[in-house]
Amino acid sequence: MKIAVAGKGGSGKTTIAGTLARLMAQQNGNEVLAIDGDSNPNLALTLGLSREQTAQVTSMPRSVLQRVTDIEGKTKVVLAKSPDEIIREFGVKTSDGVTLLVMPGVDHAGAG
Amino acid sequence: MCGAHAAVRTLVGEMVAEYDRPTVVDMEAGLEHLSRGTTRHVDRLLAVFEPYFKSLETGARVCELAKELGIKQIFGVANKVRHANDERAIREFCARRSVELAGFIPYDDALLEAERAGVAPLDYDRHGLAVQAIAELAKKLLHANGAP
Repeated sequence: MKIAVAGKGGSGKTTIAGTLARLMAQQNGNEVLAIDGDSNPNLALTLGLSREQTAQVTSMPRSVLQRVTDIEGKTKVVLAKSPDEIIREFGVKTSDGVTLLVMPGVDHAGAG
Repeated sequence: MCGAHAAVRTLVGEMVAEYDRPTVVDMEAGLEHLSRGTTRHVDRLLAVFEPYFKSLETGARVCELAKELGIKQIFGVANKVRHANDERAIREFCARRSVELAGFIPYDDALLEAERAGVAPLDYDRHGLAVQAIAELAKKLLHANGAP
């Protein structure tokens, strides 16, 4: 099950996404991956990390993406490592079996 | 769309596609960030909105966009609901706009108190009203028809 949680800033989407991830992990004894696509430190807090732990969470580097060119000369962007490797290297495990992965932030001022 | 944004979206999409366990994505805020790249491999989308008209309108737009993007199950979730009147108005709005409602999360001071205390809502009071409503939502999603 792959769930996207969307909404305006301030709507409470992060609180709902994080709490939902934890409850899904607890209810099913599953490992659940929580992806922070919004560079929002609130997701880490909602997942039960302390403020100190949250401050230490780092986002994934852009280098996990790789540009490749196929036989026909088309370029596309793919993962440079397997998802398991990426999660092992950059994921932050929480006490409920949820692993947090923070997407690289976009520098709005410099991004073209 | 700028290159950096596009790359991040590709990254979200690829992770969702290739990782084989349940995944919850806290999407970037705002309509303009809903894109095929991110949502291609998502099977459920929750559009969270608050009980006032502009927010409902945005929620309905998110649901329409998600449908265009081909997401199979799309649900609205009403958050910070204070009154039965709100609930009625939300139900009417969603029926009119063909938004399937998956849950009502009540307004809950405990969430603010949790934030002040620097604690997650679930750790602050797991029997709080809002947390209980999110638990109901989780059950509903886990048992929704067509669960892969």
